[in-house]
Amino acid sequence: MAGKTVVVRLNQQQLELLDRTIARGEATDRVALIRKALREQAAKPRDGGVR
Amino acid sequence: MMDRNVLLEMVLEPGTGKALEVKAGHILRIEQIDGLQCVDFNCFNLHDYKEFMHCGRTRTVHGFNPTKGAFLWSAPPRERALMYILEDTVGRNDVLFPRCSAYVYESAYGFDTHTNCHDIQAEAQREYGLTPDDVHDSFNLFMYTEIGRNGRVTITRQDTKPGDYADLLALVDVLAVPNVCGADVMRTSNFALKPIKLTVFEATDEEIAAAPKTPTLKSQRTPKDFRNPTIKTERRLTRDSAYVAEFVNTPVRLEDVAIELSDEEVGMLDGLRQPVYGADDGAALRDIVFTWWEQKFLGAAESGAPANRRQETVMRSLTRVRYPFLSFSSVRGAK
Repeated sequence: MAGKTVVVRLNQQQLELLDRTIARGEATDRVALIRKALREQAAKPRDGGVR
Repeated sequence: MMDRNVLLEMVLEPGTGKALEVKAGHILRIEQIDGLQCVDFNCFNLHDYKEFMHCGRTRTVHGFNPTKGAFLWSAPPRERALMYILEDTVGRNDVLFPRCSAYVYESAYGFDTHTNCHDIQAEAQREYGLTPDDVHDSFNLFMYTEIGRNGRVTITRQDTKPGDYADLLALVDVLAVPNVCGADVMRTSNFALKPIKLTVFEATDEEIAAAPKTPTLKSQRTPKDFRNPTIKTERRLTRDSAYVAEFVNTPVRLEDVAIELSDEEVGMLDGLRQPVYGADDGAALRDIVFTWWEQKFLGAAESGAPANRRQETVMRSLTRVRYPFLSFSSVRGAK
């Protein structure tokens, strides 16, 4: 797998929101949550507008 | 009004307004007598006038034309539902225009003196010791407004009929201030000033139950939470030499989260990337993450106000995780 490393810069409030989302069982950790968000957004049907 | 415990009935004559104490669980009916009359409205927490109806908050939650099923919210940091529109036989109300003022009539029409909603509101609420500076933007009942493609708002003629009314249920004790809009040289009330009937009566249990419960949150602060709870009486502004800034969550701390993306995921990122981020992969991915979060979890809780029972149920389930301290307030016993 080639791929690439992406660094997402987040502040403590953004991290708090992600951590609370993780706490409710959406993902096991921050990386997994970000990956899930990316994949779920990509799976949504495109309507030609901003999603 | 059959079988109602009517507490007050009066007619608002053209050019006038009235400050009325409306207790929690009581309804203020604002009713057309002849029809075709706009009514400006404001309200305050009866026990703390610094908490008042806020058109900005109301507009954000309910849109430009709040009607049956909408709340009248107070300004931050209180942000409570003060009243609930229980019934509205017309459904054309406005929260875009401010109250009309003497300046409008002087600058545009040349009047030295003219009936205007700001001054009528001020004169009505003077009965309770408030000043002209305490008038706030009004909830404009029976005011037909439209937004043009150019972003400008215009007033159009109205077609309300005798007997049309709006019922405002007080969720807390309020000082309600309706006034007959003073605009007789505008389309607002079809170029005439007409009287309006006001009735205050007790709500039934069913009517009180019809108002969705709104959340009680930690962020809804009152003077006991303020660093400076004292109402300033000196008009001149002077710097407090002892002031030390205490902004929350500052300084903002940044943390990097590195994620290894596969080729497939890089393709997803590129497919979703907003052009504004250019080659900044991290910013593009951050946008995707929070857009995902908004779409998945925000929903009905976005405005913090359930518009109906279904939305309330949705919001309860969503906010339970986000706000573990969440509870819902009831109109009974509210102050």
